[in-house]
Amino acid sequence: MAKEIFMPKLSSTMEVGTLLQWFKEEGDPVSMGDPLFEIMTDKINIEVESYEDGFLLKKYFEVDDEIPVNQIIGYIGEKNEQVPNESPGISSGDSQESVSAVQQETSIETDTNEHVYSSTEKVRATPAARRVARENQMELALVSGSGPNGRIQEKDVLQFLLHHENEVKITPLAKKIADSNQVDIASLQGSGVNGKIVKEDVAQAIASHRQDTSAPVKRKRLSGMRRVIGERMQQSVNTAPHVTLTSEIDMSKVKELRAQLLPIIEKQTGYRLSFTEVIVKAVGVVLSRHASVNASLISDEIVYNEEINIGLAVAVDDGLLVPVLKNVNTKGLAAITREAKEIGKQARDSTLQPQQMKGSTFTISNLGMYAIDAFTPIINLPETAILGVGRIQDKPVVINQSIEIRPMMTVSLSFDHRVIDGAPAAAFLTELKHVLENPFELLV
Amino acid sequence: MREISYLEAVREAMSQEMRKNEDVFLLGEDIGVYGGAFGVTRGMIEEFGPERVRNTPISEAAIAGGAVGAALTGMRPILELQFSDFITIAMDNLVNQAAKLRYMYGGKGKVPMVLRTPAGSGTGAAAQHSQSLEAWVAHIPGLKVVQPSTAYDAKGLLKAAMDDDNPVIFYEHKLLYKTKGYVPEEQYSIPLGKADIKRKGKDVTIVATSIMVHKALEAAEVLEKEGIDIEIVDPRTLVPLDEETIIESVKKTGRVIVVHEAVKRGGFGGEIASVIAESEAFDYLDAPIKRLGGLPIPIPYNPNLEKAAVPQVADIIAAVKETVQFK
Repeated sequence: MAKEIFMPKLSSTMEVGTLLQWFKEEGDPVSMGDPLFEIMTDKINIEVESYEDGFLLKKYFEVDDEIPVNQIIGYIGEKNEQVPNESPGISSGDSQESVSAVQQETSIETDTNEHVYSSTEKVRATPAARRVARENQMELALVSGSGPNGRIQEKDVLQFLLHHENEVKITPLAKKIADSNQVDIASLQGSGVNGKIVKEDVAQAIASHRQDTSAPVKRKRLSGMRRVIGERMQQSVNTAPHVTLTSEIDMSKVKELRAQLLPIIEKQTGYRLSFTEVIVKAVGVVLSRHASVNASLISDEIVYNEEINIGLAVAVDDGLLVPVLKNVNTKGLAAITREAKEIGKQARDSTLQPQQMKGSTFTISNLGMYAIDAFTPIINLPETAILGVGRIQDKPVVINQSIEIRPMMTVSLSFDHRVIDGAPAAAFLTELKHVLENPFELLV
Repeated sequence: MREISYLEAVREAMSQEMRKNEDVFLLGEDIGVYGGAFGVTRGMIEEFGPERVRNTPISEAAIAGGAVGAALTGMRPILELQFSDFITIAMDNLVNQAAKLRYMYGGKGKVPMVLRTPAGSGTGAAAQHSQSLEAWVAHIPGLKVVQPSTAYDAKGLLKAAMDDDNPVIFYEHKLLYKTKGYVPEEQYSIPLGKADIKRKGKDVTIVATSIMVHKALEAAEVLEKEGIDIEIVDPRTLVPLDEETIIESVKKTGRVIVVHEAVKRGGFGGEIASVIAESEAFDYLDAPIKRLGGLPIPIPYNPNLEKAAVPQVADIIAAVKETVQFK
């Protein structure tokens, strides 16, 4: 007969768990101890293992679903065994069984029921004691009361506040376990007499991955975007050997160019030309002469891209989007300005279409609006390189044996050493510097 | 510094006002040559004559009714009831006439009268002459209720009561009549609704009324030797009640005992305790509010039992110790 898989109750406060991922598909064979799925509780992420041999017959929930404790998530049983089409609801099984099925970090077992009791018991305290506790944002349950029937008096709270850091009550055994497992005793809530920390308290802290149960730390689920960014960044750093070259560029002439073109382009498009668009245009032109920097490494093949499509990193709420400007080498500054401003706005308004974020062959990340000179950008795979743009700052530079003040900008080029070597990357960056210092070359 | 008794202070307050104000007159049973049940008005008929110190028939209903009528028509009567227990007979005129008329006439009429009456036990006068019924009248909107505990307060509060355009029930305490204290010779007024801190302290607040102020002071003396520092708040007037002084004191000490001689059940201590619990002082309470009051029995005739029926100094000391036990 098919066995239920249900949402385990992993802590006394857990009411729902969020399904993060399935490790098995319907029909997959599973054996006892195989990780079945990963869940997130209010405290931890944890993999839940199978405690049956058989086949995964049914998955009632999908990733990101919030599932109440003991809700039946699926079934394991014999191949082709019949199970309900919808989750039958709360499991009739013993919840303790599921806890033991959870991958334990340590072998120390804890009695969760006892903890539930102590944490939900109403604290007996005088109004004054409550006020002082409230003012100090502390948990009254931690204080042992000296009043009648253990009532917490104001002085108990004051004394606790005075001493609690250096006078934690703990049994010798609990202290030994805590020390050897590097558990912070101050973060523990004692369940023994007068709030004394006993062995079980330490064991529970270890079992819950040393998550502090008393401190209300702000927690936020990883958003989809953050997860994607994280995965892609990790993949890039792990697979592409990054080398970052930096160079300082004299932006005097770009400034002049921008000053002259700004009113013209503003009249044509309604948008103000910024340095980003000039840099995009220059990168596009230089990339057309350095095909290797515009290449993509796709499964053991270096693809020399025909199009020159520049991805522009745009910061949005809690994330980063890289909309793409297509064929920049063939477009004028007015067109680039209009496109760049429009996709930037769409990115911030979250109205970008998926195809607007595809097909880039090179990426520019501009932090010039901040007090950033140079940085080491991470390559947007499968591209070969990414250009990090720093701020433009007036600096003294030596020109013809005299010191002049020039608007200087540092650019950082990270490239994938699997695809190209230092020399071609340096040649690209040198030419980019040359073009930006002599922007009339863009006309060539 | 001149010291006179509480009784003399009451008489002096009335005499000084009557010399100044022709509208003020006294009425009551045997208040003339006899000087009233406790001798408060003794000698006054000689000075002011029988027109202004009027003996009445033995009818509290008639005395109170006559006073309401006189007050409504422009006089400022002071009526004396021999024992405050008899206020029950005057109750209809007090509750349904005196307290109501100024409101019902939309302020066009007023009832400026003072009802003086001795209350409390301790004289062996037994069940019908020993009660403390101030909570009855404190419940009635339109009546002001005064309970002076010292000679000084008695003179000043009585002046304020005589000046007030509303009916004021002025409770004197039989055992306090003989107590002496500093009292200025000239007239002075203590505003109704202003409590007095009779003793400053930091550990426990005792809100005590009338004779219990003195018992609390005695208890404080004893407790001081044990290192317990008592603050004693005397509300002096129950209506209006100086809530602010009480609340501030409780906020300071975090502990409060309310003591009155009247029966605890339904007594005014419940009102004071509620005021505290409802106020911001709640968050400063570090012990339950405690009430001490009379036992729910008629005052016994046996002197030992009579004492046992109302809070004594030892009871206050015990209550304080219980309250500060966990400080």
